[in-house]
Amino acid sequence: MKTIGRILLILAIFSVLSGLMVAAVNANGQQSIASSDFDGAPSQFRTEGDGDEDGDGIRPGGGEVRGERGGRGGAGGSRWIFGLLKNVGVMALVVTVIALPRSLGKKKRIQVAVNSVKGEV
Amino acid sequence: MTNEVQKNSTPQTKTKLWLDVLIFVAFLVTMDPHSSGIAIHEWLSLAMIATLTIHLLLSWDWIVEISKRFLGKVGGQNRINYIVNWLLFIDGTMIMISGTMISEVVLPVMGIQFPADFAWRRLHDMSANIGLLLLGIHTALHWSWIVIAFNKYLIRPVVRWIPARQKEDASI
Repeated sequence: MKTIGRILLILAIFSVLSGLMVAAVNANGQQSIASSDFDGAPSQFRTEGDGDEDGDGIRPGGGEVRGERGGRGGAGGSRWIFGLLKNVGVMALVVTVIALPRSLGKKKRIQVAVNSVKGEV
Repeated sequence: MTNEVQKNSTPQTKTKLWLDVLIFVAFLVTMDPHSSGIAIHEWLSLAMIATLTIHLLLSWDWIVEISKRFLGKVGGQNRINYIVNWLLFIDGTMIMISGTMISEVVLPVMGIQFPADFAWRRLHDMSANIGLLLLGIHTALHWSWIVIAFNKYLIRPVVRWIPARQKEDASI
């Protein structure tokens, strides 16, 4: 019973945050449509046959280029390995930058404490 | 959080460790839809809601304790941890919601389809990148727990198992 209550609480916070985000994005969209001199088509959608130079993967019909997001468009074998390595690399870098100085500091503090105890003895 | 391995009961710490490893691997797979394909990307992300909920439930006592004392006496590390965890939760929600809005597989299977919105796509990419950084910080802040738990439940048992196996082989 307690666990169900906790799950409901987590889901409730999740729902409230989701609602706020949807409202914020919709309000932002309404605002940008109202403020732009709208002449029939949003500027980010290109006409049929245009290239996808900036890699957004958006097509005029509102659809997306599958390959851009889902990898069905024949992404090279090395590309996904690069993506995976990049993600692991970013995390490893962040962990090293934060955890290493903390670990060294801890070791130093322990060493100082050991030395002070030895000095007292 | 550092002394969680000692404080928590062994089965719970073990569960937590393997669940965290599972979440980490799942996160890496979902972060790269080029390798997994869009269907796995979406279904795995959906499944992660359940695993992340269990992850939160396993840390519930800590969450409640720090929530009560946040404005009072809390150590600096716990305070930073708490803030990072909230940011991760908010960012995770953003990833899930924006992902739902641009879903190509899961929602159409359920017969739901939202109109394509450029803003959600941008938000999804941005929140995923922020999520990667936040997960890195979250991992770094729990690094000592990870090292202790890995030593206790993976490395030490394996190290103990190898000589035992060699002895068994020698006796045969």
